[in-house]
Amino acid sequence: MNKPFAITLDVGSSRANKTGSWRTERPVYTDRLPPCNNACPAGENIQQWLYQAEDGAEGGYEAAWRQIMADNPLPAVMGRVCYRPCETACNRAQLDEAVGINSVERFLGDEAIKQGWTVPVDATPSGKRVLVVGCGPSGLSAAYHLTRLGHAVTIRDANDRPGGMMRFGIPQYRLPRGVLDAEIERILAMGVTLELKSTVHDGEALLKEFDAVFVAAGAHIGRRAYIPAGDSARILDAVSLLHGVEEDEPPLLGRRVAVYGGGNTAMDAARTARRLGASEAVVVYRRTRDRMPAHDVEVREALDEGVTMRWLSTVARADGGRLLIEKMQLDDAGFPQPTGEFTELAADSLVLALGQNADLSVLEGVSGITFDDGGVQVSPDLMTGHPGIFAGGDMVPGERTVTVAIGHGKKAARSIDAWLRGTSASHQPRHDLAPFGDLNTWYYEDAPVTVRPELEAARRVSTFDEVVGGLDRATALYEARRCLSCGNCFECDNCYGVCPDNAVIKLGPGQRYEIDYAYCKGCGMCVTECPSGAITMEPEET
Amino acid sequence: MLRQIEGSRAVAEAVALCRPEVICAYPITPQTHIVEALGFKVKSGTLRPCEFLNVESEFAAMSVAIGASAAGARTYTATASQGLLYMSEAVYNAAGLGLPIVMTVANRAIGAPINIWNDHSDAMSQRDAGWIQLYAETAQEALDLHLQAFRIAEELSVPVMVCMDGFLLTHAYERAEIPIAEQVDMFLPRYQPRQVLDPAQPASIGAMVGPEAFTEVRYLSHARESRALDLIPDVVAEFGKVFGRDSGGLVRGYHLDDAETVIVALGSVLGTIKDTVDELRADGMRIGVLGVTTFRPFPAQAVCDALAIGRPTKRLVVLERAFATGLGGIVSADLRMALAGDRAAALHPPVMSTVVAGLGGRPITRASLRNMLHDAAAGALEPLSFLDLDKDLVQVQLQAGRAG
Repeated sequence: MNKPFAITLDVGSSRANKTGSWRTERPVYTDRLPPCNNACPAGENIQQWLYQAEDGAEGGYEAAWRQIMADNPLPAVMGRVCYRPCETACNRAQLDEAVGINSVERFLGDEAIKQGWTVPVDATPSGKRVLVVGCGPSGLSAAYHLTRLGHAVTIRDANDRPGGMMRFGIPQYRLPRGVLDAEIERILAMGVTLELKSTVHDGEALLKEFDAVFVAAGAHIGRRAYIPAGDSARILDAVSLLHGVEEDEPPLLGRRVAVYGGGNTAMDAARTARRLGASEAVVVYRRTRDRMPAHDVEVREALDEGVTMRWLSTVARADGGRLLIEKMQLDDAGFPQPTGEFTELAADSLVLALGQNADLSVLEGVSGITFDDGGVQVSPDLMTGHPGIFAGGDMVPGERTVTVAIGHGKKAARSIDAWLRGTSASHQPRHDLAPFGDLNTWYYEDAPVTVRPELEAARRVSTFDEVVGGLDRATALYEARRCLSCGNCFECDNCYGVCPDNAVIKLGPGQRYEIDYAYCKGCGMCVTECPSGAITMEPEET
Repeated sequence: MLRQIEGSRAVAEAVALCRPEVICAYPITPQTHIVEALGFKVKSGTLRPCEFLNVESEFAAMSVAIGASAAGARTYTATASQGLLYMSEAVYNAAGLGLPIVMTVANRAIGAPINIWNDHSDAMSQRDAGWIQLYAETAQEALDLHLQAFRIAEELSVPVMVCMDGFLLTHAYERAEIPIAEQVDMFLPRYQPRQVLDPAQPASIGAMVGPEAFTEVRYLSHARESRALDLIPDVVAEFGKVFGRDSGGLVRGYHLDDAETVIVALGSVLGTIKDTVDELRADGMRIGVLGVTTFRPFPAQAVCDALAIGRPTKRLVVLERAFATGLGGIVSADLRMALAGDRAAALHPPVMSTVVAGLGGRPITRASLRNMLHDAAAGALEPLSFLDLDKDLVQVQLQAGRAG
């Protein structure tokens, strides 16, 4: 070809000019800790599994479920009963509403049950035997993780059925038993030995039989308060009430039921009373709604079902058919103080929901073990003062939720594994938190939260059917895609697109990107325009 | 086919007959009717295959034209006034890259103050951009020049600007002979690009060139553009054979044989001038007209040959619809440059006067021309004057300015 002189040239390239030498700062891809992950007591990698779930039915749901299962063996349960600290922390709440993480988790858990997904046990057997005392969430979680680490696990539980407080404390309308049974069965099928109606007494002696013991016997002893009462007064505790219902032996409560206390158990007791036929269920609480320990959603659902509340009230005396209520007043410090003013409340029975005490009998008298604040004292690795005996769940001081218990189970399993192998559990350093301010929120589409269907109130009070419905495949996918991927690359190609030097290299699906520092001038546009705040500028070394 | 047709429509018909493959334009008065008509043709399917691109600016229009032309497509665009200025950088690039783009400039004044009417300020501002510039006298000639423009552009690999007076030619209805497709196809062969882009043999076009080669690049551009001076008469001859019409060319004389006074001009004003000259000749004045059709490259030799200075031309009046502020006539300067190399002109230097006329659409009337040409014949015309200038008004303003 006759090329026009000096107009058409051979293919040269501006790549001869290594503009990277102009740089004084360099962009670096980072992974920040999303606030959801940071808040999860079970230590789930939520942002990661939401990202995987975005691939939907094409393997995405299963991959997401397996990511959950790396930390939590009970997703379908957690997707119903978790109090969702992740959603409280979610950055999207500052944009419109938090991502419905819990509802996606429930969908994935239910999908796994429907599809029959299981987790393989492929670790080399360690030859070590571990006893888990208590088949509640903490014990099940520990048994699951220990099994996956190659240890032989036996669970002993005093009840005739497994599940602990998930079965005997959480009513069916919040956690259908089919779901609970399926998730427990999946753990047991991995090779866990379960011994029911087996009460454990001498903790120290167990170490002759087992290489390590994890005690997670829970806190199922209803706390009593002294209330002057007449002979005809009917007083029982909430734990017994809920346990009785589960055993199909509900106690007689009468038409008018008062529940004393302001926690989640009080809400469960009042709502259960409504379902057992009480036309009036009144919660008597000494402080105000904003100071109630019960979670807001539980209070709302209880109110929806016709439960009423008596704020700033204590029960001064109980007689057959009536309660003497003393009105309270909050002092400057927010504590309720008696006023000497009394009213009466008609009630056929009084249910005490004043908290539960841990059953510490198994550890009493064991050398080296100390108790504090009604719980067992443990090290950060959850080992008690007696080497080889670990404890977790409601037995140790701290927040008492299923989610915390599951997290304890995982932590204890890792600690026990390390202890059995003569090492110490490794702790990966935590990434810096991904703050809302690092997000470029306008890159994300508007997407209001998906509302889960609820059983209408009129239907609820006559059955123990599940109140809150789940998401379907479409809505779960939508909800997963609402995730902003705070502080973590989700391969949106923004950096790739905005780089004026073509210095962002795509490494392929799932492999993210690399900066070509030979040409990156360090202009920082990729950092400024990253939607999720997953790139930072670092000073260039001189 | 003879039709009574708006000048813009006539040009659109001509362009369509040239089978352009890419048309990209941004609307600006008074050019819009041309590309509107072409847009209809593309949309309705009567002009195909052709890609009509709506772009966001004139800069984009010329940039698209550059890309399309480099890719081997016969490419057309049109603009005017500030639109031409806005695309100016790309106008230079198109010429530098030797891309045979054809562009209509519907001549219009340049602001400020804003003015949509006709003069030649816009096209004159781009006279050194490396494009061939042809100026049409009538709607028929505008039509014909577009047919010739593609032929010239593609043969030389030089872009061609066809300049036609805004409104006077674009919006007025005139009688025009619209050729048939077979004639145009006979006259204008398929576009064979100077170089064909081939992914198997990658090349870079228009990249950085340093001082070691830039002078040579420019010299070669000048040489290539200058070849149009030889080519255009051939094209005109062939055009005459195919279409049976004498149209276009380098320069056109009118009653030059015995003219002692010659008025030189470009564009549609030549019609009025010729009418005036007819009247003056009837009065006995020995006067003629030289119309410059090809302004770039400047046909110096053709001008000198036509004027035959001293045998008998003694006096030149250059009527200009634009001027170089702070200097004077633009065409006059080129004319002086041409005469400087002419032996006859050296022996008998003619008296040259520049008359700036018709700025921003001001009508150039026969009466004004008569008065001015009488002055010229009487030797009373200043070297630089402005036709129909309101002298009282400017005096007042100038004095007010000095007082302030």
